[in-house]
Amino acid sequence: MTCGEFEARLGAFIDGELGPAEEREMRAHLESCPSCNAAHERQLALRSALRKHLVPLAAPETLRAGIGRAVRVAGRAPGSRIRTTPVQRWAAIAALLVAAMGGTWKVATNQANGQRLSDEILTSHVRSLMGDHFSDVVSTDQHTVKPWFNGKLDYSPPVYDFAGRGFPLMGGRLDYLAGRSVAVLGYARRKHLINVYLWPTGHGPDAGPGSASRQGYHLLHWNQPDYTYWVVSDLGIVELKEFAGLLRGADSAAAIP
Amino acid sequence: MVEIEVRPRDRVITRGRMPSPDIPARMRGVVEPTQLARFEAVILPHLDAAYTLARYLLRHDEDAQDATHDAVLRALRHFGGFRGEDARAWLLTVVRNTCHSWQRRSRAHEQEVAFDEEVHSETGAEEHPEAALLRTADREAVSRALDALPAEFREVIVLREVQGLSYREIARMTEVPIGTVMSRLSRARRYLERTVGRR
Repeated sequence: MTCGEFEARLGAFIDGELGPAEEREMRAHLESCPSCNAAHERQLALRSALRKHLVPLAAPETLRAGIGRAVRVAGRAPGSRIRTTPVQRWAAIAALLVAAMGGTWKVATNQANGQRLSDEILTSHVRSLMGDHFSDVVSTDQHTVKPWFNGKLDYSPPVYDFAGRGFPLMGGRLDYLAGRSVAVLGYARRKHLINVYLWPTGHGPDAGPGSASRQGYHLLHWNQPDYTYWVVSDLGIVELKEFAGLLRGADSAAAIP
Repeated sequence: MVEIEVRPRDRVITRGRMPSPDIPARMRGVVEPTQLARFEAVILPHLDAAYTLARYLLRHDEDAQDATHDAVLRALRHFGGFRGEDARAWLLTVVRNTCHSWQRRSRAHEQEVAFDEEVHSETGAEEHPEAALLRTADREAVSRALDALPAEFREVIVLREVQGLSYREIARMTEVPIGTVMSRLSRARRYLERTVGRR
């Protein structure tokens, strides 16, 4: 065996990937060649350093919880978009809620309406990420998305694209929440998806977004003069608030088409 | 290491042509409760390995978490294609492919030229570091050297040294011949030897 042949097989030799015959030849060469012997020593030393420092890691708890939840939801969620009656939807949502909680955050029957609503919204968000529920109208053009809602809702929701600010509009869909059909707008931030739920309200504007975090998801909620807003995403809270600021600003200005 | 028999059916998974999570049509359909239970029992125990691979490949914790999350859901959708072979290798393949498509979208290619130049310009036989120096290298030096490797070279090192996969498994996972795995590993190691040993 030449030194060149030895060098070419050195890695496989160290990894135990050579056949018995080749291994014997390698050992024989090792004993007769000091420079190849040194090369072998260096590779062994390198491997020991790599194995010492490149340790297996443990998945963070938030990741584990998020995946567990998403997987359970996937197991129960109706995957295809079937036209359902409100009663069926409520039943599905209730079933999903029970599934999604998994004993982690229990829904008490006497929970406040706000809490129940945020549960509904979170469940709707998680469902939208499974399967193709995210958008019924897929478009990054606000002038396509806004008219799509015509005739589907008893209101025409304001739709803005914030692609210029790093939050491109992805599309829109309908969902059934709080006992009514509501508009849902989808936005993206890198790999994160954001759902915006909005419907008319009589509350009037309030001071600013209230926020809640559940198992890796953040929810923001506020009231504009005409609409109540819910925003939910797994995006970091700082960026999500920045996004909420854009929405509030755009809607308040209302001058933008 | 458990050897996996390569069957034609398995290639569906190892080919790495999985639809991205944004492609709708195939993602419809309910996951049966029995299948879900099986997925949870067979695949989810390898979540640490999945995250570890993503973390070392992407070198960014949030990206790694997102990619792992993506990959597990992708694996769930394609769980019908799992035929009971090595579950860990199967999941890692999905994770690897997910990370791969992320990297393709970012600037993973830029380093390659620099890497090649460096390897070719430093082939002097006298420059070899002492084995003792390599053995006692600190974590900082090791991770800096690993980070400097282009994606496909870092990948073989991680699959081999962190995940302990065989050449055959690495070849299937990365869709290259075993000979390529061998030569990538040995180039990567020669480079690491010089970089880690340089103080």
